[in-house]
Amino acid sequence: MATLERSGAPAFNRFFAALVPLACGILGVVIANIPISFLGGAVPPPLLGLVPVYFWCLVRPDLMTPAAALAVGLSEDIMSGSPPGVWTLAFVLTYALVARQRDSFAGLSGVAAVVGFGTAACVACASAYFTIAALYWHFPPVAPILSELAMTVLFYVPTAYVVGIIHHRLVGASRGDI
Amino acid sequence: MANAWKIARKSNAQLPLVIVIALAVVLVLLGKAQPALFDHARARITDMMAPALEVARAPVRGFDRFIGSITEIFSVYEQNLQLKEENARLRQWRNVATVLQTRVTRYQALLHAVPDPKLNAVLARVIGRASRPFLQTMVLDAGRQDKAMPGQAVVDARGMIGRIYLTGQRTSSVILLTDLNSRIPVTIASAAGKSGSIQAMMTGDNTAMPVLDIVSRQETLSSGDQVVSSGDGGLLPAGLPIGTVVDDGNGGWRVSLLADATSSLDVEILNFSQPPEALPSTAQLPAEAAGLKPVPPPPPSLTPAPVTSAAAPAPVPGTAKPVVTPKPAPPAASAPAEQDD
Repeated sequence: MATLERSGAPAFNRFFAALVPLACGILGVVIANIPISFLGGAVPPPLLGLVPVYFWCLVRPDLMTPAAALAVGLSEDIMSGSPPGVWTLAFVLTYALVARQRDSFAGLSGVAAVVGFGTAACVACASAYFTIAALYWHFPPVAPILSELAMTVLFYVPTAYVVGIIHHRLVGASRGDI
Repeated sequence: MANAWKIARKSNAQLPLVIVIALAVVLVLLGKAQPALFDHARARITDMMAPALEVARAPVRGFDRFIGSITEIFSVYEQNLQLKEENARLRQWRNVATVLQTRVTRYQALLHAVPDPKLNAVLARVIGRASRPFLQTMVLDAGRQDKAMPGQAVVDARGMIGRIYLTGQRTSSVILLTDLNSRIPVTIASAAGKSGSIQAMMTGDNTAMPVLDIVSRQETLSSGDQVVSSGDGGLLPAGLPIGTVVDDGNGGWRVSLLADATSSLDVEILNFSQPPEALPSTAQLPAEAAGLKPVPPPPPSLTPAPVTSAAAPAPVPGTAKPVVTPKPAPPAASAPAEQDD
């Protein structure tokens, strides 16, 4: 299927396509934060909202803007019940890192791509951890945040696959890059 | 993977990154000043998700039960033996508890003890659980319309699970005792028969066993001591069973919780409303009871004229006639029966 932009779709469709990355980020946050815990809550849910932020920050930074990353992080804060601003700051800082090193991250493929995302997720989790430590004035246990990092990296490949399909079908490459 | 896409070379961001980072930092600081910043939105979202959660609850519970049974199936025989032994021991303790309860009731009547605060309970089902790195919570299907309020204790059949911290119209969110934000004043009763009790603060740190911070550093604990809520501050009822003391191996103490929040299905929300303690009547004051000097009657607004209640406990020999503060008049038909008692 040709993308909406390539097929010369009207402006309305382009506007719709521009909202897809943000919508996917918020949808990932909602899915990850449904309060249903498998395995008796032994493992935390992954940061599914981070995958669209990372992905479109690399391939379409004109659609995944800093404000969009802020919105996805804000929705993560609201849905997860964590102290306000913790994940917002973590997502924005991760976005800043990926945006700065876009060429390095975008050149990765295969296992290296997973490692690249793992680095970004590590920055997000570390930011959240140290923000919490600063807010509560003591370091919380490391194991839960490491579990969340591991789950996020584990779910990256299937989530990135779905996001890639959505990108191909609904968003497409930037007009200037075709 | 990313090589498959056409990479856009520049961003058309409306808001510069620096401003967005500054906004995020401001949000963190604002959240520190007002932790309930998003509570209204969270309560609305949970209310909206409640029907879907109730639908999804049954298959998830079945899945959890299946996963749990995989590990338990190899130890069924040993568990059965342990349960039989524990059941026999508990039957003995039940008899002891019945005798002690009768004795306590009699002592309370003799001493005119202030009765324990009335506890109403709302039964609620657990429709959701979330175990995040910085928050451990569960969602109940009772909200403001069921008179659930923030701060109320949530217990299951074994002990206290946590406190309500957020209520929607039809749902409530419970902060578990293991959560990073949980702090509960507790009383520790020695299991070795030592007299007295120790006051402490139980603090969650997102591990399965919360930490005990003892108020007095001179006190010593031992593994197996019983931990109950102290009721300090009037937020929670006193005496709610919480767990037992265990040594953490590093010189500190933790609490092994009685309740298992991961397996609780139905819980009770305790509506703790502490009644204001009435002033003692003049005849109950020690000096007056000893006949030392007469005391002028208090203002009528504070202590109404004492009347002898038909429901008053039996007088203790050698003391003044007991006079209690007035209560609502009992029905005429029931008064003779109470007097007969």
